[in-house]
Amino acid sequence: MNNDYFSYMADAFDRTKVEKKSEALKGIRVLDLSHMIFGPKAANVLAEHGAEVIKVEVPYQGDYWRSATYWGKYWKHSNPMWHFINHSKYFVGIDVKYPRGKDLILKLAEQSDIVIENFASGTVEAWGIGYTQTRAVNPKIIYASLSTFGQSGPFRFFPGWDLLAQGASGVISSTGYPDTEHYFKVPDFYGDFYPGFFAAMLIMMALNYREKTGEGQYLDICQAEILMRSLFHFTYSSVTGEEIGRTGNQDPTASPSGIFKTSDGAFFALSIGTDEQFAALGRVLNREDLMKDSRFAGSLDRCKPENASELNRIVSDWMASTSADELRELRKSCRFPLGEVQDDVQISTDPWRKERGSVVEFDDPMYQKLVMAGSAAMMSETPGRVKWLTRPIGYHNRYILKTRLGLSEEDILKLEKEQVVGGWDYRVGQRPPVYYNIEEDKLFNYGGESDVE
Amino acid sequence: MSSKEKVYSRHMQNKQAAKRISEWSKVISEIMSPQGKPEALSDTVVLDLSYANFTGTIASSLLAEAGAFVIRIEPPDGDPSRLMTPYGKTVEGTGIPYLMESRNKHNVILDIQNEEDKKKFIALVKKADMLIETFEPGLMDRLGIGYRQLKEINPSLIYLAITPYGQYTRQAKEMASQPWSDLTSQAESGMAGLIGGLPDDPEPYNWPTRAGFYTAGYTSAVSAVCSSLMALFFKGRTGQGQMIDVATADSYSSCVGFPPTVGYIWKKPRPRYGTLDYGLCPYGFFKCKDGYVAIACFRDQDFRAALRILGLWHIEEDWKTLLDRITDDIERAKTLNREIEKAVANMTFNEIFTKFQAFCLKAARSKWRGGGLPVTTRMLRPMEVMEVEHWKVRNTFFKVDDPSCGGLKLPVTGKMSKTPLRVKKVSARIGEDTDFIFEKFGIR
Repeated sequence: MNNDYFSYMADAFDRTKVEKKSEALKGIRVLDLSHMIFGPKAANVLAEHGAEVIKVEVPYQGDYWRSATYWGKYWKHSNPMWHFINHSKYFVGIDVKYPRGKDLILKLAEQSDIVIENFASGTVEAWGIGYTQTRAVNPKIIYASLSTFGQSGPFRFFPGWDLLAQGASGVISSTGYPDTEHYFKVPDFYGDFYPGFFAAMLIMMALNYREKTGEGQYLDICQAEILMRSLFHFTYSSVTGEEIGRTGNQDPTASPSGIFKTSDGAFFALSIGTDEQFAALGRVLNREDLMKDSRFAGSLDRCKPENASELNRIVSDWMASTSADELRELRKSCRFPLGEVQDDVQISTDPWRKERGSVVEFDDPMYQKLVMAGSAAMMSETPGRVKWLTRPIGYHNRYILKTRLGLSEEDILKLEKEQVVGGWDYRVGQRPPVYYNIEEDKLFNYGGESDVE
Repeated sequence: MSSKEKVYSRHMQNKQAAKRISEWSKVISEIMSPQGKPEALSDTVVLDLSYANFTGTIASSLLAEAGAFVIRIEPPDGDPSRLMTPYGKTVEGTGIPYLMESRNKHNVILDIQNEEDKKKFIALVKKADMLIETFEPGLMDRLGIGYRQLKEINPSLIYLAITPYGQYTRQAKEMASQPWSDLTSQAESGMAGLIGGLPDDPEPYNWPTRAGFYTAGYTSAVSAVCSSLMALFFKGRTGQGQMIDVATADSYSSCVGFPPTVGYIWKKPRPRYGTLDYGLCPYGFFKCKDGYVAIACFRDQDFRAALRILGLWHIEEDWKTLLDRITDDIERAKTLNREIEKAVANMTFNEIFTKFQAFCLKAARSKWRGGGLPVTTRMLRPMEVMEVEHWKVRNTFFKVDDPSCGGLKLPVTGKMSKTPLRVKKVSARIGEDTDFIFEKFGIR
């Protein structure tokens, strides 16, 4: 081919063409009964790829995470950390406590392809909106129950979240420096987000199966188990009888490896996995003799603790006498893994991520400009996209109840009076921004107009 | 529901609820065994060319556990990730992380740089639904078997490429020769910079720190598989294939989403927070008499409950609301944490657990919603996790029968009622299935 490969790819993934392309899950309907992060993240991955996701919340209370911002700092009366978990969803407020509310939720479930919930195990069954009741009205349903300890086993009713899953799975005990009393968790509720992604993956397996056979199913998605699935420690202990333990910032599967400080105080990670990479490092360090040393001959030798320490000392000395700019330049040609430790501001302003679309600047009619994470994986024909940021509780009540369930304005007014259906309390996290004129919002006041979407 | 089981919700304590839960429990008990059940992806053929990049190997494992027919293609010398293993320990020459991800795959040797083998490879591509590769961007294209050439041969092919910076953008081109590693991906995607001791801790404990497992590798692999399955669904409806591009330097920031938004809203990077938390306080593991125990208070009522149980009610006045506790004043957060540390240090795990549990059960019976749910658990080391009865009941750890694997155990998850994920075999012998595969697909 004559054309340059990167030009071809730049065209295949052109960000300016995203809106014109198809969506992989167009027409798929998801009922999102979940709250906090684990469930909402799973539903969000599907929403980003075109599924129509209806998020149901308790009127005037809503998802607790609406108000749980970092450091108690809000943005335009919303939690800025909530938008990237729940963008592109429809927000309805229905109270399951009332029989009529339960019926409305079941009616939405009847029209859905997928239901996602993450209450304490068994709660949705007790409420009458669980798998067995949904299956009775919609046998093809894919029903995903997400929880910390799973839907079976002696701990199944035990409540939990990210921190408990990280502690119970072995993640925390594996992170930190040996011989210290500090065990670090992976921050930012990673134990919710990563299992949430995993849940979306399992749901996609079920959806592909249903597409072939017409059969729905029930999914017991357990967040602690998903974290365990990602540790090689169990396998290691089962065959060696030993533990890996904590290794600070060194990777015990690569040598040399670690996070090192440069002469000007920046931090760079370096990690040598293969012989080829080790040879490349030797050339850069002007230490080709290392490759002839039998202690460092192959990966397995280099990873032995005493040999790894020796190599790490060499790298540490080199880094301490090298500047960050020198390393940034070296990365283009060095042929071994060398990367800068990046912080929040570097990531949010990184031109590469902007050009790639993994960090996007989104302009929303209600909240205006927000910088947020884009898709984690880029698709050439069906790229994911942000359609709108989050909305106050019950913002889409009229739109969804009228278009999906055929309710009239009178029906809705009656349900509102009975508090079966409702919206937000005038609190941060729940209400619209103060500058926003909700009375003139056509979607919020949806009356059946055809030009509203 | 057995009568011994404790429930932590008042909604589950009436007769009607008990009846519904017992019907649902029947569904649950049927999920426990995969025997004789169909597999979700049983007619999907995947070619995995991953090389020195665990992300691709993990991705093909997840697909294989769901029943995809995975052909693991390696050059004659094998994939170097076979030898990336903790402290250099192997099982008969194969590294442990690699062996753990050698689930249900067929191992084939093909040298794609050799013309003869390339023809065989192209014949396989014609039969494949999905291809995974992790070479430097443009390498497959130069060999004449990149996405743009293969899509002419098989227009419905889903081509998944996994590299540090992806296949487009100026940086992807400039940095094309940078190889993958889990540690550099953790660092560049914003995770390592957030893990580690507080700013005033001694060096190097306050330096950026690695999460103790392949977090970047697994995170990127799951997003890759998730998108591939969306592409498979789209292909099923339209017949159209596509290219999927994963950049591992995005793994953490794209998964949790905090770094870009925090950086934009506050214009300053977060410091490393030790065992504190940016969003909640207290939210961590604290040292008790006989181990480490989770104290995680989210709502005000959960916090007040914890204070009562830990004998700390006298400090309630200073920490009344959530906003008092999620302060960006690190000294204040440390103060509250120290109070919890002191109280917890005098108790055993069982004392704390019993009291917390009793409180939760009592609150669950109450109609008053402000009771609080102070939940806790013990921090376990992986070896201890394997001994927990709960995971034994759930069959979370699969034991491989093959005597050459020496009692190898693997964690498995994905309990789906119709098509559960499962491990059928674990085998990593280089090229062991080469003849079988070529015969099966009629390739000479």
